[in-house]
Amino acid sequence: MSSNFRSWPMTLLLGFLSLPIIVMMVYLFVDTVTDTTAGSLIPDRFTLEHWRFLFDAPQAGRSNIWSVTLNTFIFACSTSAIVVMTSLTSGYALSRLNMPYRRLLLGGVLTLHAFPTVTLIISIFLMLQMTGLYNSLLGVILVKTALELPLGIWVMKGFYDTVPWEIEMAGLTDGASRFTVWRRLVLPQVHPGLAALGLFSFLAAWSEYILPQVLAPDGASQVLATYLQNLIKDDRAPDFNMFKSVGLFYAMPVMIIYLIFNQKLMNIYGGGTKG
Amino acid sequence: MRRAHLLGLGFMTPALIIVFLFFLAPVVLTAVFSFTSMSSGTGISGGAYEINEQTLRSLTDRGFPKAKSEKLGHDLYRIGEEGLGAVEADFGKAFADEIRAELSGELFEGRRDLERELKKLRSRPRSIRDLKKAADLFKRSVLNTRFESETAFLDGVGETGVELTADDQAVLVKTAYTGWSWTTANYELITSMASTWRAAKNTAFYVLLTLSFNVGFGLFLAITTFYLPKGQAAIFRAIWILPRILPPVLYVMMWKWLTWDTGFLSIFLSNFGVEPRNWMLNSDINAWVCIVLINGFVGASLGMILFSSALRAIPPSMLAASEVDGANRWQQIRHILLPQLQWPILFTTSYQTLSLLTSFDYIYLSTDGGPGRSTEVWALYTFHTALNNYGGVLQYGLGAALALVLVVIGIAASLFYLRLFKFNELVSQPRIEQ
Repeated sequence: MSSNFRSWPMTLLLGFLSLPIIVMMVYLFVDTVTDTTAGSLIPDRFTLEHWRFLFDAPQAGRSNIWSVTLNTFIFACSTSAIVVMTSLTSGYALSRLNMPYRRLLLGGVLTLHAFPTVTLIISIFLMLQMTGLYNSLLGVILVKTALELPLGIWVMKGFYDTVPWEIEMAGLTDGASRFTVWRRLVLPQVHPGLAALGLFSFLAAWSEYILPQVLAPDGASQVLATYLQNLIKDDRAPDFNMFKSVGLFYAMPVMIIYLIFNQKLMNIYGGGTKG
Repeated sequence: MRRAHLLGLGFMTPALIIVFLFFLAPVVLTAVFSFTSMSSGTGISGGAYEINEQTLRSLTDRGFPKAKSEKLGHDLYRIGEEGLGAVEADFGKAFADEIRAELSGELFEGRRDLERELKKLRSRPRSIRDLKKAADLFKRSVLNTRFESETAFLDGVGETGVELTADDQAVLVKTAYTGWSWTTANYELITSMASTWRAAKNTAFYVLLTLSFNVGFGLFLAITTFYLPKGQAAIFRAIWILPRILPPVLYVMMWKWLTWDTGFLSIFLSNFGVEPRNWMLNSDINAWVCIVLINGFVGASLGMILFSSALRAIPPSMLAASEVDGANRWQQIRHILLPQLQWPILFTTSYQTLSLLTSFDYIYLSTDGGPGRSTEVWALYTFHTALNNYGGVLQYGLGAALALVLVVIGIAASLFYLRLFKFNELVSQPRIEQ
C-alpha cells in the first residue's frame, strides 16, 4: 500500500503465525502419497497404498465409498437446487413487489438469517421420527434446505436490489406483465448472483456434518462427512495417512470450486453472517 | 387485491411453506417437548401399560399399599372360560367339564393349591407333569404383560382380584404407563443440576475467549494484509480462508493429527526431549486452548474478509495525505483504519456471539466436551442430553428444555440486531405500483 514502511517484518510475523495451517496443508497432501517411519516427520517412501479405499471392497459394516460419494452429491445438488429456486422467487418478491406484510416478511427473513438454527435440531429430529423421514436422505435435504434458505433469500434480494428499475419500467411500458418482466428482463441480470448462491449452498451442504449425523446416521444414507468421521472414531490405532486420503478426496471439490470461483463466493461471505 | 400482490405472495409461497415447517413448527415444538418426559425409554408416540419389578418398587415409594403391590407381583390361578377352553383342547372335554363343574370361578394363590384340587378330580391326567401343565393353563399374571390400553390394563389387574381404591388405581395407572407424560420436571432439573451450571459457565468462558480471539486476530490479519504488497497479501488471505472453507470434519481431523500423541507436535517436540502426549486432551487448559484456536481460526477468517473489504473502501489519497503530514503507522491505524471498521466490528461481534453461543460442531468433533466434561458448553450439553449419549437414555424432553433456553436467547438477540442494524433503512418501498 504505502511505501514508507518496511513490510518484511510483518511478512515474517504473519508467516510464523500461519505455520500451523501451512504445516497442516502441506502434510495433508504429502501424507496421502507417502509413508513415514514412526517417530519421524520426514516421509521416506512414495506409495499409493493410502488410496486403496477407492478400489477395495469396503470392510464389514462400512459403506462403499462411491455410493457414499453419490449420496453426498445428491444431497449437495438437491439442496443447492431447491435453495436457488426458492430464493429466486422470494428474493424478487421481497426486493421489488408491493405486497401485504412486506415489512413483516423482510424482518422475518432477516431474523431467521441471524437465528441460530442448530438449536432446533432436537425438535426437528423428533419431527422427522414422527413423520417417517428419519434416516432418509430426503429428510436431511429438506432440513438443510430450510436452514440455508434465509441466507439465500437475503443474498438474492441483494442481487435484485442492484438491478436498475429502468429495465423493469421499460418492460412494463411496452406492455409486458410483471411476471414476464421478471422472467425475460430481470432474471438474466441476476445470473451471477444465482451462480454464486448455487455454488455456496452446494458447498455448505457438501461440508455439513451435524445434520446427516443426527438425522440419517444409517449406512445407506451416509455422506462423506459422516463416513470420514466414522473412520476416525472407529479406529483404535489411527491411520492418519488413510484419513487424509479420504479427507482429501472429500475436500477436493471444495478446493477446486474455491480456486475457480473465489471472487464470486467472497461476495456472499462478505454479506453472509454465519460463522 | 392487486395483481402484483398476488404475484408477490405466489412468489413467496414456497419459502413460506419451508419456513413454516422447519422454523416455526420446530420452535413451537421445542417449547412443547420441553414440557414432556419424552426419552428414548418412553418412545415418542404413545406408550403401553406394564407392571414389572421396577414398577412394583416405585409403586411402594409412591404410597401404594405394599400388600396389594405384592399381590400384583404374584402369579394367580383363576378358573375361567379361557383356561377351560385350553384344557379342553389339550386334555379332552371330560376333564374340562369336570373342572368347570367343581371349581368354576375359584381363585388360587399358588400353583400347588390348584394342583391339589385338580388331583381330587376323577378324569384328571395320570402323569404329574400333565397335571402341572393343565394347572399352568389357568395362570393369570399381570407381571410383565403389556396392555395396549388403560381399560385392558385395568381389566387385567381386576382379574388378579386385587381390590383398588380410586387413589390406588390412579397411582397404579400412572406408574405402569410406559409412554411419555406432561411434566415441568425438566425445568426443575435444569435449575437444580450442577452440570447445567458448569455448562453455563463453560459457555460464557468459551464465547468470551473465542470472540476476543476472532475479532482481535481478524483485525490483525485484515490490517497487516492491508499494508502488505498485493501478492503477499493475497497469499496470506488465501491461507487464512482455508479453515473456513474446509469441511469441519477434515479441518478438525488435521488438528487431531497435529496434536495427538502420535501426531506432529509430539514428534516434533520429542526432538527436544519432551514426552509425546495428547496435546489436545491431556489437560483442561490444553483442551481449552485447542477449541479456542480451532474455532478462532475459523472465526478470524470471517472477520478478516469483512474487515478487509471495509478497509478497501478507504480512499488511497487519505492515507497518502496522512503520511505527508508525518503520521506513523500506528497513528494511521488508530485514526483512519479503526474508525472505518467500527460497524464491521460491531456486526461481527454481535453475530458471532450468537453463533458461538449455539454452535457446537467443532467442539463436538474435537474434544467432545472432554477431558471429563470440562469443555462441554451449553449447546453441546444439550446435544449430549438429547441426541448423543453414550451411557444410556436419550432425554428428549430435558434436551428440548435446554435447547429452548438457547432458542429464546436466539430470537431475542436476532430481534435486537434488527434494531441495532437499522432495519428500517433496509426496507425501501418498491417504485412500481402495479
